[in-house]
Amino acid sequence: MARAIAIVEDEPLIRANYVEALSRFGYEVRGYPSRGEASSAFAQRMPELVIIDIGLSDEPEGGFDLCRELRAKSSTLPIIFLTARDSDFDVISGLRLGADDYLSKDTSLHQLAARIGALFRRIESLKTPVSAETVIEHGPLKLESERMRISWNGHDVPLTVTEFWMVHTLVRFPGHVKSRDQLMREAELVVDDATITSHIKRIRKKFIAVDPAFDSIETVHGVGYRWTT
Amino acid sequence: MTLRRKLLLVALSTLALPFAGWLYVRQMEQLLRRSQEQALLATAFALGRGLVAVGANLPTPAKGWYVQNARQPIIVDGYGDDWAALSPWVQHPWPGVRVQLAQDAAWLYLHIEVNDATRTRVDAQDSESQDADHVELTLARGAQQRHFLIASAAPGSFQARPLDDRVRGLPDLITGQWQEDAGAYRIELRLPRAQAPDRLGIAVYDADAPARFNGGEPNMRPLYSLAPALSNDLTQLAPTGVRVRLLSSEGWVLASGGALLADSPAGNDRMAWFDKLVFDALIAPALQARSSTPMDAPQLQDADAKRALAGRASAVWRAGEAPGSVVLSVAVPLDTHGETRGALVLDQSSRALPLLTNRALLGLMLASVAGLLIAGALLFAFATWLSLRIGRLRDAAERAQHREGAPLAALPLVEDSDELGDLARSFSRLLDAIGTYTDYLRTLASKLSHELNTPLAIVKSSLDNLEHADLPPDAQPYVARARDGAARLGTIVRAMSEASRMERAIASAEGEDFDLAQVVRGCAEAYRALAAPRRLECVLDAAHSPLHGAPELIAQALDKLFDNALSFTPAEGWIRIELRELDEDEGAQLIVANSGPPLPEAMSGRLFDSLVSVRGSGARVGVPHLGLGLYVVRLVAELHQGKVEAQNLADGVAFTMRLRGMVRRRLVE
Repeated sequence: MARAIAIVEDEPLIRANYVEALSRFGYEVRGYPSRGEASSAFAQRMPELVIIDIGLSDEPEGGFDLCRELRAKSSTLPIIFLTARDSDFDVISGLRLGADDYLSKDTSLHQLAARIGALFRRIESLKTPVSAETVIEHGPLKLESERMRISWNGHDVPLTVTEFWMVHTLVRFPGHVKSRDQLMREAELVVDDATITSHIKRIRKKFIAVDPAFDSIETVHGVGYRWTT
Repeated sequence: MTLRRKLLLVALSTLALPFAGWLYVRQMEQLLRRSQEQALLATAFALGRGLVAVGANLPTPAKGWYVQNARQPIIVDGYGDDWAALSPWVQHPWPGVRVQLAQDAAWLYLHIEVNDATRTRVDAQDSESQDADHVELTLARGAQQRHFLIASAAPGSFQARPLDDRVRGLPDLITGQWQEDAGAYRIELRLPRAQAPDRLGIAVYDADAPARFNGGEPNMRPLYSLAPALSNDLTQLAPTGVRVRLLSSEGWVLASGGALLADSPAGNDRMAWFDKLVFDALIAPALQARSSTPMDAPQLQDADAKRALAGRASAVWRAGEAPGSVVLSVAVPLDTHGETRGALVLDQSSRALPLLTNRALLGLMLASVAGLLIAGALLFAFATWLSLRIGRLRDAAERAQHREGAPLAALPLVEDSDELGDLARSFSRLLDAIGTYTDYLRTLASKLSHELNTPLAIVKSSLDNLEHADLPPDAQPYVARARDGAARLGTIVRAMSEASRMERAIASAEGEDFDLAQVVRGCAEAYRALAAPRRLECVLDAAHSPLHGAPELIAQALDKLFDNALSFTPAEGWIRIELRELDEDEGAQLIVANSGPPLPEAMSGRLFDSLVSVRGSGARVGVPHLGLGLYVVRLVAELHQGKVEAQNLADGVAFTMRLRGMVRRRLVE
């Protein structure tokens, strides 16, 4: 059975494009132009993944409200923010509200599909036992690529898919410097340097929340970042 | 010229005030004079009529011999030494004959000098004396007459020969002294006052030229002298302070009465400088020169006296004897029965007039000076106040111009109700408008990019969908081109919002301790590949350069500077990245220099403002340049309490970033 995805987007052309594209990828996609319509539809049937635009016609922060609402109903529902906004502030707000990922509208449909696939895979893999091949361990770090899960000293580090891919890129070749360009490519992101910088900062913070002594992501100024052990 | 100086100059126009006063005082003074002249003239005429009315002994219009009062004892010796004081008023009946008469209490003296180089000498008693050189005196009193012949063969005393019988009341005998030299002979004699004649005839005979001296005909004239009785009359008639003189038709003073006002006390002789100034400037020009004849002269030859004798009244102002005093002199003809028999001259000393003028002028001057000072001070204060206010407004406007995005402080004077207040309000509105406009421009790019994102997303997602549509193969290149264009558009849109994103990133930046040298070294290494084939030099002052700040932001600023340098450096040029440690507390200096064209001077100050670019069009195709790069550099420098400058080098351009480190925040979280 096709997975149900809801797109809440006030711009009809983008909505139509996304609905069509994701339908082509085999999902059952519904589009909603406003928070009210989406809420009432979700009350009847919860989708399995929600893509939300932050600014919804007359509600500039409508996406955040909807996210809060949905998170209250289900703590596991994957939520992706898709927005024309690209400020760090918005990113942080969205992620704090419990969104699983945050993509700018620059992102191509392929990348979007990849994100969605990854999120579903993660949910799926949580239900199956861990297969040994996909686990990378580096000291206190344990990275399960199938499940897109990372733990440090046995504690889960709640990373978004984007962040997971960035850490994954770094950890695959510890000690190698990865430039921002490379990280961008691996994470399938089209963002600028500053966004990469803030992603790295957030990743560090998340690790530090688990272990205050965390110091494994090193900045190589002018070049990029590397994972040290 | 400052406003203050201009107003002071304008204040000088009040100088017209004392000038106008000066003119007024002059006019007033002239008016006073006229009226005084009129009054004195009226007095003179009244006096003249009075004299006629009381039947005073008025002179006849006929010529006469004037007998002066001797000023020193006269010795009858034939020499003129003792007549010297009287000689200015010598009388010439004919050319070549000088007659002088004088009297003292007892005697009437006569001195006759005749020019005669060819003498025919005989004594008076000689029978031929009538045909030799001689002088014949005719003494007359009333109807009686007596003739005397005076001649002498040698210098010395002589005795006149009476030509007729003795007459009672007239002298029997006349003796005198005869002296002579090569060109003239002199006769000096005296008669007792008691026997003095009232008319005198003098006849001179020259034997060599009988026709000379009117052929020896006697010249009978009445004797005039200063008459005490008439003088007394005049004294009684004259008003106080007025001296009256009665003149004969020849100008001889026949009577003198009254006196000028006594001169002020001796101490006042020297005028105060101000009085003198006023006198010299105001009164003296209107005066005629001091009369050349002394006050007690027996004959007046002044123009006014002559005019009066000719029948016309006149008034003259003269400088008085005492310095600073003024004498008004009036001369009127003395007419009886239609003929002018003499003249009256009235002198009035007028010390009061200059005093009045002085006082008026002094008051005027003091008032003017005080007014001038007050007006000047007021104007100066006003001008100072004005220029202070204008200065404040100007400073505020200057500050507002350079506020660099800081909120607009309220301008001074906006509460004032005058024109400056209006100006301040206009300025304020203008600055507000400019501020709004600048803010609009500043945020335009990011707003625009935000707005552009949505249509761009539509295009992109549509293109993505298009790939899955069944497109004929020859349509594929177009899709590819559209995708390419959309991607480029995306780059542009991201660049446009870069500044605002950087501003936000900078606002939320957190400082950390790091080694600036290491950051610079890392960046320089990374740039080396990009810079080729240009030479890249990296000069580091010290191995370590600790700084508190945001290394990512500094690296980003360095990126911008390097990017900027790269785009201006020709392929064979060089780029130099330099880090200099400055003194304690001065932080570090990060310099990015490159060879290339110099910066235009006009732009040097604004280079680091938002949306300012000095690049020529088409510097690098495809990469938008909005003039945000250097603005980001400035923001980063300011975050680190530094500043950034650009200067032209001999062979290139250098951008200098001074970094002192971020303010350490207290950890709140």
